[in-house]
Amino acid sequence: MANPIKPDRSVITTCAYCGVGCGFKAQTAGGRIVRMIPWKEGKANHGHSCIKGRFAFDYYQHPDRVRTPMVRDSIDQPWREVGWDEAFRFTARRLQDIQARHGVRSIGAISSSRCTNEEIWLVQKLARAVFGNNNVDNCARICHSPTQFGLSATVGWGAASQHFDSILKADVIMVVGANPTEGHPVFGSLLKRRIRQGAKLIVIDPRRTETVRSPHVEASVHLALRPGTNVAVLDSIAHVIVREGLFDEAFVRARCEWDEFEVWRDLVGSDRYAPEVIGPQAGLDPADIRRAARLYAGGPNSAIYYGLGVTEHSQGSTGVMCLGNLSLACGMLGREGVGVNPLRGQGNVQGGSCLGSWPHVFSGYRFVTDNEVRAGFESDWGVPLDAEPGLRLPNMFDAALTGHFRGMYIMGEDPVQSDPNQSHIIEALRAMDCVIVHDLFLNETAKYAHVFLPGSSSLEKDGTFTSAERRVNRVRKVVEPLAGYQDWEVVVKLMNAMGYPAHYQHAGEILDEIARLSPTYRGMSFALLDEIGSAQWPCDENAPQGTEVLHTERFPRANGRGTFMLTEYVPTRERTSDQLPLLLTTGRILTQYNVGTQTRRTANSRWHPEDVLEISGGDAATRGIRDGDKVWVTSRFGRTQLSARISPRVNPGIVYNPFLHAETRVNVVTSDLSDWATNCPEYKVTAVEVSLVGQAPPERTAAARATPEAVDA
Amino acid sequence: MQEKRTMWSELRDLTDDVDLGTPPRAGDLVRLTVDDVSVSVPRGSSVMLAAARAGRSVPKLCATDTLEAFGSCRVCLVEIDGMRGYPASCTTLVAEGMVVRTRSEALTRLRKGVLELYLSDFPAGDVPDGWSELHEVLAEVGVHSHPYHGGQDHLDSPVDLSNPYFLFDPAKCIVCSRCVRACEEIQGTFALTIQGRGFASKVAAGQDEPFFESECVSCGACVQTCPTQALVEKSLFETEYQRG
Repeated sequence: MANPIKPDRSVITTCAYCGVGCGFKAQTAGGRIVRMIPWKEGKANHGHSCIKGRFAFDYYQHPDRVRTPMVRDSIDQPWREVGWDEAFRFTARRLQDIQARHGVRSIGAISSSRCTNEEIWLVQKLARAVFGNNNVDNCARICHSPTQFGLSATVGWGAASQHFDSILKADVIMVVGANPTEGHPVFGSLLKRRIRQGAKLIVIDPRRTETVRSPHVEASVHLALRPGTNVAVLDSIAHVIVREGLFDEAFVRARCEWDEFEVWRDLVGSDRYAPEVIGPQAGLDPADIRRAARLYAGGPNSAIYYGLGVTEHSQGSTGVMCLGNLSLACGMLGREGVGVNPLRGQGNVQGGSCLGSWPHVFSGYRFVTDNEVRAGFESDWGVPLDAEPGLRLPNMFDAALTGHFRGMYIMGEDPVQSDPNQSHIIEALRAMDCVIVHDLFLNETAKYAHVFLPGSSSLEKDGTFTSAERRVNRVRKVVEPLAGYQDWEVVVKLMNAMGYPAHYQHAGEILDEIARLSPTYRGMSFALLDEIGSAQWPCDENAPQGTEVLHTERFPRANGRGTFMLTEYVPTRERTSDQLPLLLTTGRILTQYNVGTQTRRTANSRWHPEDVLEISGGDAATRGIRDGDKVWVTSRFGRTQLSARISPRVNPGIVYNPFLHAETRVNVVTSDLSDWATNCPEYKVTAVEVSLVGQAPPERTAAARATPEAVDA
Repeated sequence: MQEKRTMWSELRDLTDDVDLGTPPRAGDLVRLTVDDVSVSVPRGSSVMLAAARAGRSVPKLCATDTLEAFGSCRVCLVEIDGMRGYPASCTTLVAEGMVVRTRSEALTRLRKGVLELYLSDFPAGDVPDGWSELHEVLAEVGVHSHPYHGGQDHLDSPVDLSNPYFLFDPAKCIVCSRCVRACEEIQGTFALTIQGRGFASKVAAGQDEPFFESECVSCGACVQTCPTQALVEKSLFETEYQRG
């Protein structure tokens, strides 16, 4: 009998992996998920899929899934399994004790871009309405916070200006610091389709990724810049555009602030940004910078797609502003085929960004200090709210070490694994009185937690995700939650245990509350999404089915005009030296998702059983390193062991590692520098040395920090 | 920019419940008649798509609306006034005033003939209780057996189980090229080819390697489009795969 099992039920839902937001039909037989097949009517994927969404779903029933809440009085005790009610009572009592002794601002909450909009909403409501402070942050802090800041400053909204299908009208596609064929594969396929149709491709990335060259696709220009020189190179592109008069004066005069344009033009037009000056600093041929500039400005439709290679820098926000400036100057906004588009890493980074999971703003980026906005929330939630902005994630950890911050609820995140400077975070967690981890698995952070609340996977709950194209997609419950509750129900019960009366019959009522209190979501409801499939915000009475292309008539700024930000290049303080002569940069691979919590628990690991360090042939040879050798990677901050892979994808002087495996913990190596505006960590540039294991590693140039070995001991 | 006609952007016209057979097009409308039903479709559409829009879907195997027409399976034949023979509806474009017939005795005879040949080289044990597109078309055209016995077949070809998520059973493959075209047109990886000619032609990954060792990225586009479950998810089997 070789005929396959015929599924008996099919539920349309949304993939929880990357920010593309593919529609899937989750098919079950006898109540068990037997396959995920791509949904032809999914607006982002049109029936296509990648290995993660299509096949890597088995983690949901992995034996490592925690099925019972657990508590302990201190982290050196073993976990004690308890019922849900006891877990809520334990947690509420501890948090209230901390607040009684150390003040209402001594605790906070973290949400995740893996959570649904409804969960993210409830977590910020938990902090604001129940904890009574604004100590709420989310993991977009460490990836796309510069997008929010940089795009808001120039074009008005920190979100993709387009829908994904817009790329099929683009003539020139500029990909900056992103590798969509691996990081966002379904969009990568759409991009390649457009290149095969004849569009030109510019890639700005230190590595020769598959996006640069693959069968029937080749970038017209690849600027393989030195990590850390994004802003210099983008300013140099702008230099060519203003000096050669390639900008769209009519657009700038009609749609932008002309005075600001002139100031910006003078800055980037100055001789210090000439390709002949910047080229040597960035390791580029000046002629290539000029070609890229002319191609982009020439369009007629040029579209920018960018990723963490832009944001995770000490000038991450500046880099995003450069892209906003370029698109405004060349009139590449407000129609199909153009735009500036962040490629978001996690399923709901956009939702995490726009639903107020930040210490300083409510949903729609409205400031907590704004009395009128706050009053609206106070009347809906029935409690007075704190007018003082709260602590950012890194500041929470800093405050923990000084004893002012003592309790933290963390939903769906693993900061020990994914945040920079692990040893610092571990010290901070150890200093707290109550750390609550709400996750599918006992993650690294749970080692330092007092309460573990078992989470539900996206296959076990109802809600919505907002994808990288601002598209709100429905997540539908396919199977019952393994531990009994959907995540939003857990937050509601925690609120109730702390004395706040929150009652929702189903997740749709949370979306109704979001819509009531958030202008760009005003028209969203489960009913609308069930009827039309999905909708891109803004969705309101003017756009009842949502909005595909932003900025068609005006920019969402007070005067309706786009503006130009000054983007002076300031080199990162992270420099190579004699002891640390190589630059380490990080990124994604196709088969694994982020830190790999889910994908490592599937057969996807067959493709990448371990983390590797890509190194150029020359750099390997001078160090006596052969392909497959175990090597130490040492930075000012720490060291870790990896397997070397000699790769033509990286230039001499550069080494590359995907951030995936808990065992290798590359973040012990990465720098503690961060974006000047948003604290987004500079994961993309760290000076390192690489040496064979067995040989003496280089002396650490700063010995101030504990080594990871010492912390583990 | 000049558009290559083999690529298309009307992705949004796809629907989950209907397979139009060939990709939807945009543009001015052409009116034609399919089995006495009058229908208008955009210029550049196939006769197959017009028939589907008229509610007179034509049986097909190598055609699907996420891929450009290929014209290899010979199941979708129709009769068109003023045209000789029995053109394949997937590769024939509509014209103003065209009169198409999708059902006739001659067409049924031709389709049965082709389907019997496919059936003769398909594992017999997997014909009853199967639920692939092939099984649906066999039922629709009324083919339950074939008269060919003792000829050559592909029933000894080894199954490729190398990929953790899907398998490839060449015995069920009808070499319609949907997987090869999906890998090119949809995914853009170009990992699959048809190797060899005639009876020896077969789907090959990479340089005729196991799928797992080839440049295949396991996107699943080939599995999704395979009409015979020659490429199929391993998760649909409770025990180790056994050909029927």
